[in-house]
Amino acid sequence: MNALGKLRVSLAVIGIIYILIPLIVVIPASFTSANFPSFPAEGFSLQWYSKILERPEFMEAFFNSVQFAFLAAFFSVLFGTLGAIGIAKYEIPGKAYITSILTAPLSVPQLVLGIALLVYFTPLLLSGTSTGFLIAHIIICIPYVIRLVLTGLSGFDYNLERAAAILGANPIVVFWKVTLPLIRPAIISGGLFAFLTSFDNVTVSLFMISPEMRTLPIEIFSTMQDAYNPIVASVSTVVILISVILIIILEKLQGVGNVFGGSNHTSG
Amino acid sequence: MEPVRHHADQEINKPAKLKVERKTSKIKKRKGWIPGLLLLVPILLFIFGFFIVPMLYILYLSFISTDNLNSADAVYSLKNYIELFTDSYYLSSLSLTVKISFYSVIVALLLGYPIALTMAKSSPRVRGYITLLIASPLLVSIVVRNFGWYLLLLPNGTINQLLINLGIINTPLKLLFSELGVVIGLSNAYLPFMVLAIVTSLYNIDPSLEKAGAILGASPLRSFFSITLPLSLPGVVSGCVLVFSLSMSAYVTPALMGGANVPVMPVVLYDQINNLLKWTFGSALSYVLLATTLLLVLVFTRSIEKSKFKEVFR
Repeated sequence: MNALGKLRVSLAVIGIIYILIPLIVVIPASFTSANFPSFPAEGFSLQWYSKILERPEFMEAFFNSVQFAFLAAFFSVLFGTLGAIGIAKYEIPGKAYITSILTAPLSVPQLVLGIALLVYFTPLLLSGTSTGFLIAHIIICIPYVIRLVLTGLSGFDYNLERAAAILGANPIVVFWKVTLPLIRPAIISGGLFAFLTSFDNVTVSLFMISPEMRTLPIEIFSTMQDAYNPIVASVSTVVILISVILIIILEKLQGVGNVFGGSNHTSG
Repeated sequence: MEPVRHHADQEINKPAKLKVERKTSKIKKRKGWIPGLLLLVPILLFIFGFFIVPMLYILYLSFISTDNLNSADAVYSLKNYIELFTDSYYLSSLSLTVKISFYSVIVALLLGYPIALTMAKSSPRVRGYITLLIASPLLVSIVVRNFGWYLLLLPNGTINQLLINLGIINTPLKLLFSELGVVIGLSNAYLPFMVLAIVTSLYNIDPSLEKAGAILGASPLRSFFSITLPLSLPGVVSGCVLVFSLSMSAYVTPALMGGANVPVMPVVLYDQINNLLKWTFGSALSYVLLATTLLLVLVFTRSIEKSKFKEVFR
């Protein structure tokens, strides 16, 4: 490799480290024995993990997050899969417009979306309710499910459905025994992606929560704003662990990079 | 004679066959789109009801003069917009947001381009690993990523300690709760998008162009600046647009890394809506933020597309 190539690779390594470093430092910091968060950690202890169990608000927020993420994934996959099949399989007039309408929530900043939903939900008596929260999360998950399932359907051979129908299967059996198994990886990826999107979301959730109903990222966010406490490091490590497990499954199914290709993902 | 006749038969049969096929496919299509639309009904209703209508609703609200929507003086007016553009507080917040987003784009571009270039020159295997490494952090909550930076940027944190030990600085730099902290947080969060956008356009460059350049005597550096870089401009532009738009409307990172010291538009906006409950004014601010972002993006892309590299964008 020539000098220029070496320069290019070393700059790339610096860039990759820059992307990864905030996540890397959180994990060792969670094992600190000190009362303040630091990297490198001072001493070693698991006290901040046991403190999570002593703080009911974190446990409650965790179960809320899992519950909402599961429901948001379920509904966005349900609506999204039906919609994607509708777009991919049938000659609907204005197909391209419909696809861009369905992925439009991605191009509106989450902050603005959160504001719009809060203002809209209040007269409908939905603000601060779990229904409102769930609706908001389904809206931000749908574009990803649509994109992933459409990709899964792009090479789909509809002759297989036709063959099953000729052999006497009714449309429901065709869908259940032929279509669904073939696009299952795409649907599972969509579901996992929706789960993570909902589980990790802060911006839209900030407008949807109520004092009684908070999620884990929101709890971390407000703890960070009030006082920097090492408990944030241990809770964050748990979040990283959950994300990493789901990312590994997602990568095996569809490839993480494919999801973001040419996207307009909004977070932060 | 046999093969020729066979061939001729085929030639004669072909158009007829095509006609039949076209007919059946037409019938299928006509019959086909109603069930397709039925499958789309739930999702379309959902998006219309909970996305399009709310977005239009706050656009409507932004033209209402008071926050008490039931009161008699709730009339249509441009009051919110006039207040916004005459108050130096909002204008300076807007320019601060633009400035910080601009710096985030520059940092993301400088760090992202070498990654994208290395990916384009790697084997598909290595490319896959790099994609996984850079895209996975996008699936970890932004609060967790910000907390990592917090640990690094503290006055007695890793970066300040490192700089002091190296003798570069004597007193800790104010990295946290500063504009620099916000730029670091934003560029870090959106760098993967920059890389993925650039790499897409690098993949599309015909490798023989560089070879041709080398044969004609261009040095690797020359061939980078006259071939690779200009041809990757569409990717660079879309990466910059993406990072800029995302930075303009990011709330969580400025709130955590900048706090009250860096009152960017989203932080001001959150305060107006959630704490002051000024919904109509907040709605106007939202649309001004969106419009400013769109306008700057448009000016930027137009000026690049009209530059000396305009051929690339054809």
